[in-house]
Amino acid sequence: MSDQFATTAPDEAMALALRRIADSEAAGRGSEMAGLGFNQVVVNMGPQHPSTHGVLRLVVTLDGELVKDVIPVIGYLHRGKEKIAEKRTYYQYIPIVDRTEYVAGMNCEWGYVRTVEKLAGIEPTRRAEFIRVIMAELNRIASHQVGVGTFTADLAPLGTAMVFYAFRHREKILDLLEAASGARMMFNYFRFGGVRYDLPDGWVETCRELMLQVPAWCREYEALVNDNAVFLQRCLGKGVMTQDDVADYAITGPNARASGVAHDLRRTRPYSVYPELDFEVCLGRHGDVYDRYQVRVDEIRESAKIVLQCLDMLPAGPVQLGTLRAPYVVTPPPGACYTAQENPRGEFGTYIVSDGSRYPYRLKYRDPCFVNLQIFPKLLRGNKIADAVAISGSMDLVLGGIDR
Amino acid sequence: MALPAIGSAGLALDDVAARLAAALPSDLSDLRVQEPDTVVAVVAPAVLHDVALRLRGLEGLAYESCNFVAAVDLGDGFEAVYHLYSFAANSYLELHVAVPRAKPVLDTVSDVWPAADWHEREAFDMMGIRFEGHPDPRRILLPDDWVGHPLRKDYVDSIENHPNV
Repeated sequence: MSDQFATTAPDEAMALALRRIADSEAAGRGSEMAGLGFNQVVVNMGPQHPSTHGVLRLVVTLDGELVKDVIPVIGYLHRGKEKIAEKRTYYQYIPIVDRTEYVAGMNCEWGYVRTVEKLAGIEPTRRAEFIRVIMAELNRIASHQVGVGTFTADLAPLGTAMVFYAFRHREKILDLLEAASGARMMFNYFRFGGVRYDLPDGWVETCRELMLQVPAWCREYEALVNDNAVFLQRCLGKGVMTQDDVADYAITGPNARASGVAHDLRRTRPYSVYPELDFEVCLGRHGDVYDRYQVRVDEIRESAKIVLQCLDMLPAGPVQLGTLRAPYVVTPPPGACYTAQENPRGEFGTYIVSDGSRYPYRLKYRDPCFVNLQIFPKLLRGNKIADAVAISGSMDLVLGGIDR
Repeated sequence: MALPAIGSAGLALDDVAARLAAALPSDLSDLRVQEPDTVVAVVAPAVLHDVALRLRGLEGLAYESCNFVAAVDLGDGFEAVYHLYSFAANSYLELHVAVPRAKPVLDTVSDVWPAADWHEREAFDMMGIRFEGHPDPRRILLPDDWVGHPLRKDYVDSIENHPNV
């Protein structure tokens, strides 16, 4: 069977899917796909598919409507960012990091800048720390709005209505980020020891006004879908991730918290000024699609709470260390270091090896989406193909981070 | 089965290092503490899989998650860096494994930590380290027909390396 296929499509993932069917048939009953060859069909989903949220490709083996096997294929958005890092100075690399998890650029920049600061022993100013937390949490809200909005569109009880509710609110947050940094999504805002610009006049008041509306936004989202029978049928008990799965597959972020694992780096390994702030770690209990959705909506509320506190506590002072030219040249001493932080999708870390020059010797991302995607075959197996779309939507993947 | 609560072991980083040194005295060398959250150790390639199994099952201090695997080109050889996380200790363990350039082969640990699977594929894709016993040893980010391993320091980019472009 696989030979026959090889002549029509020289594609290793497809060939692998067919080989697995052939192997399980050869193995006889007892193998997980055995005895079902009659109804089996291999479907290629993506890389251009509206519900894969980017250029994710899934080679799905179906038995009737049931998913028997999934082979994720990634790399369609690979831009060689780890290689690029070796050819640029630490400073020149900051805008590239934005493009990693492009829905949460502020958080990614922060992750990279913190690692370099730790390597080079730079301590950011206190005002900058607060501005960083504000930006990261605003971006977390915007990112969760994308996640929740597109997820409900995948389920389709409401068509795309929810997307527009979420995106309308997200646009207001992007306006704030643009006013501070100059860009809607590709910010290039963080600098070693601080941030690029101080907040413009009137920004704090506008931001506070907007954050006070956030609980009402969340109520609006919940009123739209939480009591919807179709929505609940498609969410409750679907795609359950146990705590063992969380450990095995190193799942982090809202996906882990939905399974009741209180892993939130802002609390478990606090950084920046998070220890001074009051917020809850939002947990789910069942680890199903519904909990993953609800945890994200709850986190939007908590992030707004954090931003409001930071606006009240915001100290005066410089937002950068020393003169304007100071942070341009950074030469950390030889060594290696990994720092991680809580991105909207989980633990985002950068491992940097320095040889003492102005260029990173080696940079490796630990991207939450890349790690979270690995559990897909296990999670989707045995579900209906329509639920597979719901489950993958609930994982909230960003392909920029997966492919790097 | 529920995971241990995060940080429930209540151990300081030095204590974690001491426990590890006591539990695997001959296999973890150059054990040191890197503030604020990491214990670093060197492991011989031959015992890697065995060490992985024992770390995963360590009583009261199990390293349940493999956070990532990074491959580094050090010039005369490669280094694989395994980054592990323990929920009970709430800290990382970084294992450095030397890989010879002439024969870049390691045992897979993807059977111990499923999360290591794709990181090992990436290490093969980018650095050309092969993992013995890996269930699906294909390239992951680059096209299947790519030639060479781009993150090696001696890699030379050429149109010959990507025949379909």
